[in-house]
Formats: sequence, C-alpha cells, structure tokens
Amino acid sequence: MRKIEKEFRLKLDLLWLLTKKEITLKYKRTFLGIFWSLLNPILLSLVLFIAFKIFLKIQMENYAFFFLSALFPWNWFSASTTMATATLIGNVNLIKKIRFPRHFLILAVVLAQLVNLLFALPIIITLAYFSGKGLGVIWLLGIPILITIQFIVTTGISLLTAMVNAYFRDMEYIIGVAMSMLFWMTPIIYPLEMVPKAYKIYLTLNPLTYLITAWRDIFMFNSINWANIGISFGSALVFFFLGVFVFQRLGRRLDEVI
Amino acid sequence: MSYIVEIEDVWKRFPMMRDKPGFKEFLVNLPKFAKRNSDAYFWALKGISFKVKKGECLGVIGKNGAGKSTLLSLMLGTIFPTKGEIKVSLKVAPLLELGAGFHPDLTGPENILINGVLLGLTRNEVMERMERIISFSEIGEFINMPARTYSSGMYLRLAFSVAIHTDPELLLIDEILAVGDEAFQKKSREALIGLIKRGVTTIFVSHNLAAVQEICDSAIWLDGGEIMAGGDPEKVVENYRKYY
Repeated sequence: MRKIEKEFRLKLDLLWLLTKKEITLKYKRTFLGIFWSLLNPILLSLVLFIAFKIFLKIQMENYAFFFLSALFPWNWFSASTTMATATLIGNVNLIKKIRFPRHFLILAVVLAQLVNLLFALPIIITLAYFSGKGLGVIWLLGIPILITIQFIVTTGISLLTAMVNAYFRDMEYIIGVAMSMLFWMTPIIYPLEMVPKAYKIYLTLNPLTYLITAWRDIFMFNSINWANIGISFGSALVFFFLGVFVFQRLGRRLDEVI
Repeated sequence: MSYIVEIEDVWKRFPMMRDKPGFKEFLVNLPKFAKRNSDAYFWALKGISFKVKKGECLGVIGKNGAGKSTLLSLMLGTIFPTKGEIKVSLKVAPLLELGAGFHPDLTGPENILINGVLLGLTRNEVMERMERIISFSEIGEFINMPARTYSSGMYLRLAFSVAIHTDPELLLIDEILAVGDEAFQKKSREALIGLIKRGVTTIFVSHNLAAVQEICDSAIWLDGGEIMAGGDPEKVVENYRKYY
C-alpha cells in the first residue's frame, strides 16, 4: 500500500515539476515573467476591440467579446498541439538517458498552456460583466467540464502528432498548416449561423465546432448546451484513445528513430 | 538467492542510419523503391544472456562498439530489445551520461530538484537531501546561478552528486569515474566504491581493466554483440588481454 502511495506521489511530483519547468523556461530571462501571460491577452483584446469597434464597424453586437470568447480556448488547443508536436524530439537527451513516463512531456506542455487560458479568464469575466449577460453560477460548473474535455482531446491529438513527428519530421509542418486551416473551419471569428447552408454540413463534422460553441454558450449566454458537450466529450474520447494507442505502439521503437 | 537482473537471449538491432531518403529521392528512384533491402540493420547485441545477483558487482569490458552501452541502456529501460527478455527488479540509478536532465537556464537547486525526481525520488526526499547534494558537488556560491554559467567540470560534479544521492539499488556506471579535477575524481571514486562495497548491485562498464579486477565480483567480455567470456574477473580480463 505504501509503495503504491509513493509511486503515485512520485508521478504527481514529476508531472508538476515538468509543467513548472515548461512555464518557468518560457519566461526565464524576461523582466515581466509570468505577467506576460496576463498582459498578452489584455493587449490582444485591446487591439481587437479597437479594430472591430472603430475601424471595421462590424454590425454584430459585442463582436470583440464574441471573438475572444472562442479565441482564448482555441489558443490553448492550438498552442498546445503545435508545441507538443516538437516536444519529443526536443527532449532527446531525457528520453535516451533517463527512464520516466514519456507521455508526461506531452501532458506538461498541455498543462502549461492551460495557464494562459486561466490568465485570460479575468478578461472574459470583465467583458461578460460589461457587454454580455454577466456572470452566472453556471460558470462554476461549465468551465471545469469544458477544461476537462478540451484537455482530453488536446492530449490525445498531441500524443499522436508528437510520436508521429519523431518518425516523420514533416508532421511539424503539417500541423502548422492544419492549425490555420482548422482555425478558419471552426466558428471562431464568425457565427455558425452565418455559414451558407450548403457548407454548414462540413462544419458540423468538425468536433471542435461543438467544443468552441459550448465555450461561447457559457461565456456569452450563461447557458450549458449539453448536446454540444456530449458530442465534444465523445469525440474527445475517440481522439484520446487513438493518441494513446499510437503513442504506445510507436513508442517502443522511439529510441531508434529519435 | 534471487536474481535482480535477468537477461535472456537478448537481441537488439538498429536501423542503419543512411541518409534517410526524402521526397526528392523518392521521385527519382520510384521504380527501385518497390524492393526494400531488409539487411539495412545493424545488430548491436546478438543473443546475450546473463544474471546478476543482489549485491553483486558485474564488470563489462570490450572494445568500442562491442555493445556495452546498448546493454546498459536496455537494463535502464530507455530502449527495448528486438528479441529476448530483460527483467530488472530494482530502482536503477544511471551514471551513463551525466546531466541528461539538466537545463542550462535553470539554477542549481531547480536542476537538482527536477533531476532527483526524474531519477525516482519524491519532491520532499530531494528537498531533504538538497544540502548534502550541494555540498558534495563543491559548487559553492555558483549554485544559485543558471547552469549555463557553470564550467563543464562543475556541471558534471553537480550531476554526479545528484545521481549518487538518489538511494540507488542498481547502479549502472559507464566509465565516468573521471569526473572533475583530480581531487574530485578521488572523492567520486571513493563514493562509488563505498556504495558498491555497501552491497549496492552494480553494473560497471569500463576500459580500466585493473579497476574491473579490483572492484568486480564477476565480469563479462563483449565483442561484436556477443559474450566472449564470463565469470571470474581475473580470468576474463586475462583472456581479454591475451586475445589482443
């Protein structure tokens, strides 16, 4: 019993330290340090606000809020996947010389990127207060659920792309292009209703459509759409098991190709 | 007496790393790609078997490229055998390439912490030993600076210090008794021999034949991925000397 307990403690410590390392190294040697995680979304919001309110004059009400409520969750997904893809080949030394659970490297990247989303929440809250329906108790339920679902799907895809990238370095470039395609194929900067009927079907095939819409439902309308959450969760599990399968299968020969 | 390391008929091959054919070559050589040559592998180990008892010190000798380091990596578990079976039933401390988990931008304590945990200690256990690890490494006031500012000797000393303070049950040593300057070499050698004498099971890969004879209880001699001789270190070393 004690042994299992220690084993668990050890795993937890390792994951925590790898995540912390990921965060510390990102801002090491900068003056503002972790404050960049807060400052970045604030500045981004200001820029978008000015662009859409003053220059573009988009007809939609609260467009900046509409955009940001989807952009922050999307950024967590896309930054994690992009960075995780390069993380196995970036840690050759660790992988070859020390035995530890390699998937922790991927988990650490996804967790470290989550911090950025958490730092963006105060901005979302401010925007919700001034231009949305305000905060609801439902946030306390919805946000943790969506974070969990997005964590599962992001980890699944990252496990897959990171391992494939070790064998086939083109993956890094594929992911770069895929992410910008996916950005435009998910209703982030436009509402789903605006898409012509003939093309809507393609967007409904994209699992991220449901996840992003679910985020927006909470942030903008204080509502939880269980259908969207259910579909997101189901597809997240599919990607997760696919990722785990590929990671384990190809992982046995990782040392030969890395 | 139970065995701690059991290695049975282990084979390990690596793909020959010629320049990997890219898309351009693929287009040019399209017809030739149909038949793939299957002998594009290098067998680093060819059917190795041995066992190590608890508390034993096994020396491994052999020329460069004989498969010694591959054998250590297999026991460590960072690579897997192509065929055969390996059982290692203890907490392993690798002294293979020191400082593998160090990051140049992290400070001494940060690096100690993350490496200690990577080597199998909990966070609290590392914190308890922090003082001892730092003082053994003799880095002094530089400890709180980023590791990139260390000299290469300081870097290795700190890495060595972390590795031997992790309560290893099985030590894998790959010719690293020469860490740092002469004084530190002596100190690190004594620390290691102390561990070995205290009954920590050890696999000791070395080109220093005298050291193998002196420290080890048994030895194997590898050549071309096969065991040429095994058993009493005196005899194995003698055979090895005669052979060359």
